[in-house]
Amino acid sequence: MARRILHVDYSLCIGCETCQSVCDFLHHGKPNIRIYYTESGLPIPINCRHCEKAPCMNVCPSNAIYKDTDGAVIIDPKKCIGCLMCLAVCPFGAPSYDARLKVVTKCDMCADRRRVGLEPACSEMCPAEAVFFGRPEEVEDEIRRRTAEKIARERISSTVMESIGRIL
Amino acid sequence: MKGMRFAFLCREKPEPTGKKVAIIGAGPAGLSAAGYLVCHGHEVHIYDKLPEPGGLMLFGIPEFRIPIYRVRKGYEELENVFEVKFFPKTKVAFGNGEEEGDEFVENVVNFNELVEKYDAVLIATGTWESWMPNIEGVELEGVYPALDYLFKIKSAKLGHMSWDEVPPIEGKRVMVVGAGHTAVDAAMESLLLGAEKVYMSYRRTIREAPAGAYEINLLKQRGVKWLELTVPVRIVGEYGKVVAVELQKCKLGEPDESGRRRPIPIEGSNFQIDVDYVVFAVGQRPTPPFAEDVGIAVDKKGRIVVDSRHMTSREGVFAAGDVVIGPSKVGRAVLDGLLAAESMHMWLLGR
Repeated sequence: MARRILHVDYSLCIGCETCQSVCDFLHHGKPNIRIYYTESGLPIPINCRHCEKAPCMNVCPSNAIYKDTDGAVIIDPKKCIGCLMCLAVCPFGAPSYDARLKVVTKCDMCADRRRVGLEPACSEMCPAEAVFFGRPEEVEDEIRRRTAEKIARERISSTVMESIGRIL
Repeated sequence: MKGMRFAFLCREKPEPTGKKVAIIGAGPAGLSAAGYLVCHGHEVHIYDKLPEPGGLMLFGIPEFRIPIYRVRKGYEELENVFEVKFFPKTKVAFGNGEEEGDEFVENVVNFNELVEKYDAVLIATGTWESWMPNIEGVELEGVYPALDYLFKIKSAKLGHMSWDEVPPIEGKRVMVVGAGHTAVDAAMESLLLGAEKVYMSYRRTIREAPAGAYEINLLKQRGVKWLELTVPVRIVGEYGKVVAVELQKCKLGEPDESGRRRPIPIEGSNFQIDVDYVVFAVGQRPTPPFAEDVGIAVDKKGRIVVDSRHMTSREGVFAAGDVVIGPSKVGRAVLDGLLAAESMHMWLLGR
């Protein structure tokens, strides 16, 4: 199957926390995507980026981390020994220790949902469409289209067009 | 260009359960709850006073934050694929007075009659009443509650209102009072509509601003004059119209119950700024679909009281979103709507 990516565009995020909410709902109070507020007050969603060269996969001593056919980086709870080496090397701090299951868990790009033809819930529900899912070229195309809209909006902001009214 | 998938739990309509649910309010909580319920086979009817579903996502939050198509395509999927029936311009009420966003109401449905007609009801009507300070001059022409101000701008953009009904902001001076997300949005929309000067008055400092320092700094970069540690004490008018705001300087004292340092007005520090519009964004109040006793308890802040099942003090009537938790974020309302819907589903199936 073709590689698919789950991409968060931080410049489009409005900090509404909908991604975190739907993930929280699906994972019963333990969301795999969370908004963090920086000192300057900027909301940043943090989740697994499903790296191509995933450091967690390389470092895992029990070979519990693998990639599925879409390219999602997934932890096998049966093989995980809970050593947290994945968290130590993750550039984003994504892996999370589950005290109940006594293993490390993280975003699996909604593996259960993908199996039945649904997409990751954060991407389906983000009101700002800041979370993208799809083949890399599809996602990139969409991002460039949004950027074009943004540039256009800056250029024509508060321009009154006769007969069309105000364009914004 | 894909829409929000409120029914993100499924792709198509499952076998019907035969149960009928009414949702009052088509904002993030109501639409997410609808999405859950249709994915579990219930028939859903949504009543909303606005001309189209979306709530504050469409009629409050500016388009540069939430693209309009994202919400529109979202509710269209609920309508077309999941056969959710929408009743727009329909206010569900019991003894209610006027509140913001009532401009479009064409039908009024009695709350009690609605409850009789359905197997379960979810109230998700949000917080549509703005706090207005009790100071001289708030009745002047040119003074707006922030939600009303944003509502008019978005209604015109969405094509539900003529631009003639929107305050002509171009070339004018606007003072926004407050420093939350609504205040930031009101200031930003004013800039985008060509205001000559935008001021923001906040009684604490940028460090306490609920919208966060980042948003405030962004506005400052765009030329907004940030007046922290000030509080409006009087709006000056001429011939019934705003001409200036009188502000008083404050200093920060001991922390209050919210943990933030309390602003203390400084005697004799008053000064005036000439403006054409004053927009108050100092908080919202819950707006349940009833103003008289319908057997549903509300707390002293006007929020509907629910139990752990999201059920109100009336059997079969549930509530979710800002009308329960107070003004929050889209995501918080979405989660509350989903949890309430899950609980309604259990209750409907008698579990």
